[in-house]
Amino acid sequence: MKVIGIGAGNTPFEVNFFQKKYEVPFPLVPDEDLAVHKVLGEVRTPYFIGVKINEDGSNEVFYSKLGGFKDSGEFLNLMIKLSGL
Amino acid sequence: MVRTRLGSIIWVAGLLVLFGWMSTALGQTQKFKESIYPVGKLKPRDSVPKLKVGDEAPDFTLPAVRGGEVSLSEYRGKKNVVISFVPAAWTPVCSDQWPGYNIAKEIFDQYNAILLGITVDNIPTLYSWTNQMCMGGGSLWFPVLSDFWPHGAVAFKYGVLRSDGVSERALFVIDEKGIVRYIDVHDINTRPRLEALVGELEKLNK
Repeated sequence: MKVIGIGAGNTPFEVNFFQKKYEVPFPLVPDEDLAVHKVLGEVRTPYFIGVKINEDGSNEVFYSKLGGFKDSGEFLNLMIKLSGL
Repeated sequence: MVRTRLGSIIWVAGLLVLFGWMSTALGQTQKFKESIYPVGKLKPRDSVPKLKVGDEAPDFTLPAVRGGEVSLSEYRGKKNVVISFVPAAWTPVCSDQWPGYNIAKEIFDQYNAILLGITVDNIPTLYSWTNQMCMGGGSLWFPVLSDFWPHGAVAFKYGVLRSDGVSERALFVIDEKGIVRYIDVHDINTRPRLEALVGELEKLNK
């Protein structure tokens, strides 16, 4: 399972600073002009989308929810369960 | 296990996380849900400039949300000062701009700069608004000052009071000698990029 973060409305400089400050171990992508944000439905943040990539190359959203979580272990287990891995 | 190639990365499943700090997207953090007043698109600038780079910054004394008063002159000879005027509490872009500066404290420290946040709102409103602003508790590290009464007097002095009584979204960088080194009367609808301010702070030490 891979994680990508999208900085809605943030510049590369801002995302880079955020990534270093909080030692974010996964890729963060700046989305300064909100192009990605728009495609994903202009959601509020934080927002999590789980995408399963099928063998035939098609994508399947298995999770889409607004808001953070308290326990990362529980959240990971939920993702594993919902994605059917 | 199902494995699918996507570009050069082997993916099983991906998790996209959308986050926003200093976001321009409508005070969009979940924390502010339903608390932000939708102002719509406003005239980008609505004031007449009074200051220019090289001028001495007009002194002022304003009440701070954390108590007491803050004067610009108390930083003279000690710190560079960044003044961030934002139009009003509980409005879209402002509700993202200051939380971003709150995260970026190290950058201000690096350039021996203090940030003063100013709006024309009264203290109780600023108190509620800034309390909501702090991610994960705590408080803002920089003084938030109320230019409520006489209404917008400091904003007026700095040439950033709009015709409807709120201020522009404006940044002033004032050096340790009290001289204005940078003015950005920004489009009120958008948030200034952090790197633009950092670039100006860098110039101070050259």
